[in-house]
Amino acid sequence: MDIPSFADLNLGVTLPAVFLALGTTVLLLIDAFLPKERRHLTAWFALAGVLVSFVLTLFNFGSSETALAGMFVADSFTGFMNLVALTAAAITILLSIDYLKRTGNARGEFYSLLLLSTAGAMFMASANDLIVVFVALELLSIPLYIMAAFRLNNAKSEESGMKYFILGAFSSAFLVYGSALIYGATGTTNLQEILASIGGIVEAGSSAIFYLVIGAALIVVGLGFKVAVVPFHMWTPDVYEGAPTPVTAFMSVGAKIGGFAALLRVLVTALPFLVAGQTVEPVWQNTIMIVAALTLIVGNFVAISQSNIKRMLAYSSIAHAGYIMMAVAAAANPFTADFAARSALIYLLAYTFTNLGAFAIALAIEKDDGSGTDIKDFVGLARSKPVLAAAMAVFMFSLTGIPLTAGFTGKWFVFQATMQAGLVPLAVIGVLTSVVSAFYYVRIIVNMYLSDGEGDEAAGATPLVNWAVYISFAGTLLLGVFPILATNLTETVTLLASVAP
Amino acid sequence: MVPTEAYIILSMVLFAMGAMGVLLRRNAIVVFMSVELMLNSANIALVAFSRHWNQADGHLFTFFVITVAAAEVAVGLALIVAIFRTKQSINIDELHLMEG
Amino acid sequence: MVIGGITPEAFAFGLFTILTLGGALGVALNRNLVRGAVWLIVSLFGMAGLFVLLSAPFLAAVQVLVYIGAIGILITFAVMLTRSMTNLRERFTNQWWMSAIVAGLFFLFLLLGVVAPVWGSLSPDQAPAIVGTTEQLGVSFVDGNQFVLPFEVVSLLLTAAIIGAIVIARHQEEEE
Repeated sequence: MDIPSFADLNLGVTLPAVFLALGTTVLLLIDAFLPKERRHLTAWFALAGVLVSFVLTLFNFGSSETALAGMFVADSFTGFMNLVALTAAAITILLSIDYLKRTGNARGEFYSLLLLSTAGAMFMASANDLIVVFVALELLSIPLYIMAAFRLNNAKSEESGMKYFILGAFSSAFLVYGSALIYGATGTTNLQEILASIGGIVEAGSSAIFYLVIGAALIVVGLGFKVAVVPFHMWTPDVYEGAPTPVTAFMSVGAKIGGFAALLRVLVTALPFLVAGQTVEPVWQNTIMIVAALTLIVGNFVAISQSNIKRMLAYSSIAHAGYIMMAVAAAANPFTADFAARSALIYLLAYTFTNLGAFAIALAIEKDDGSGTDIKDFVGLARSKPVLAAAMAVFMFSLTGIPLTAGFTGKWFVFQATMQAGLVPLAVIGVLTSVVSAFYYVRIIVNMYLSDGEGDEAAGATPLVNWAVYISFAGTLLLGVFPILATNLTETVTLLASVAP
Repeated sequence: MVPTEAYIILSMVLFAMGAMGVLLRRNAIVVFMSVELMLNSANIALVAFSRHWNQADGHLFTFFVITVAAAEVAVGLALIVAIFRTKQSINIDELHLMEG
Repeated sequence: MVIGGITPEAFAFGLFTILTLGGALGVALNRNLVRGAVWLIVSLFGMAGLFVLLSAPFLAAVQVLVYIGAIGILITFAVMLTRSMTNLRERFTNQWWMSAIVAGLFFLFLLLGVVAPVWGSLSPDQAPAIVGTTEQLGVSFVDGNQFVLPFEVVSLLLTAAIIGAIVIARHQEEEE
């Protein structure tokens, strides 16, 4: 047996994710050995680890290599997803420090779990093998289950963790079974090799194609639960409401980053020409289109009737998963696949900044016991905390998709990709539901600026939380005014292994 | 020799039974056991396909599934015990502090 | 050796199938949680038998050790720790009939969609005596050219799970 040399492993390109994962184990030890009065430093060590990994990602950016026997792929797609995931982790750390302290749950393990989850998202973005997709998804999810239940002796938080756990385990089973069927049809779990063997299966007219189709369907179900698209979204509002707010913020972003990264990689890289008959159109396009349309409609319409900001943002996050799903549907067309993948990336970045910002403000007005997250609690915020109110207004505009905000940039690219792929009805649904979404986003702005009432003193708005708001605010505006920042970074993103079947 | 399809059908029946258990039962532990059955049905399929292709990838996948299942059990049961301590019940229908 | 048209292998397959599916049915329908856990162990045991038939003796041993030895026992522990509801008054969720229809349709979908079309197309002529020796499997896990990445990710996952279990299950009193 050949023993690979160290250089063959190509460990250099895996460094951002590997560093974060190893750093986490070191962080655990640091937390255990720090004297009690210094325990608060753990969070800063965690933040430092995230920043180092961020820099390492930038150094590796633009490479296009595989590592570790083709299981790990480091390309611009991976790099961009890593940057988004690390940004989310950094903002979440800023949000968590004071929140955990004031709710009486300040424990160093939280940050280790957060970083492990981030590493899971990064491994998912670079997974080039169904086995890695599965284990990385679990690495992303299991810490999230625990973090959702992190509020000690709090029934709501524990239930939230439990619900998330049961649905998560259920969806993993779908993912594994789907992967098993695809392995059965092709004899491999490597995404490129699956692609290579599909041609033979289709040409021979082998009935193994049925395993492929059902396998792909089950994988879409499994990942659909994770990214919360209709009809696999039922768990989202309860879990989002019950989990500690910083965890909800991270969950709403991190799980989507990992889930959509894997979905795009599996569908576009491995199964782009899963053809029905003689057409080039992948059979999964219609399914994804229907899922996207349903998600947009249900997410946006149900959000209108919510009275709790966390539940509203939960439905809003479902709706945004629908917009990203539009990009996935557009990626089914081989001629627009790369552009669609880019638009999904840009949308995810825009969504990350905006959504984390919105959750940061929700966290700022939340009371220590977890109450105070109703939409009516925003009444008068413009008078008591004008800066926070202004930031919240921008975040709401961005979630709606008003020009000069990040949300507009994201939607612009996603709609463009959808149109280029010829999915006009889907684009129309997207535009119409965006208009509907204005109802519930603008209601918050109206509450803050136009309603009479005592303003909330925003007890949670500590300096760290304010910093998180400023960073999200800057990101939202920068991406809105200079979309070129994101388009430059995604220019080299390509998921298709070859152009023609 | 028993054909591969026989094992696949068996695994599908098992998968559906597991899914039925998850959807039908209200006790969290039973739901959890049903999820284990679903994961195991995937294992049977993987090992059967592995024999079919005469290569060990499916076996390795199975190892990872078993490991992940062990990790999930650890977390899941900790959650179940924690909830039980707080509420004295773990019926998932009763997990309804939050509804609307 | 063939007895009455049934090979020993087919006989063993039938036996293990009955154990596996019977156990699964026991889990899905039993009213008593302790019995449910025992049914789960029966089912897992049947699967270990199937693994032996599928030329995977080492996996069968792992199945017995990890699934039955560790997971089965852990579940039994959980049942006993939450003992006041060992006997369930109500077994099914409030919308059980809807769920039953969904599960049934799903099974039909799998059966008609996958199995019916492919029956007989994927059978190898001869089963290998053993697929992947224990040594090969062991090397694959740590070989940089094979499965070292998922292996390391899974090790992180176990770390996360252990920390998590401790964090969740701790008592308030231990805090000061």
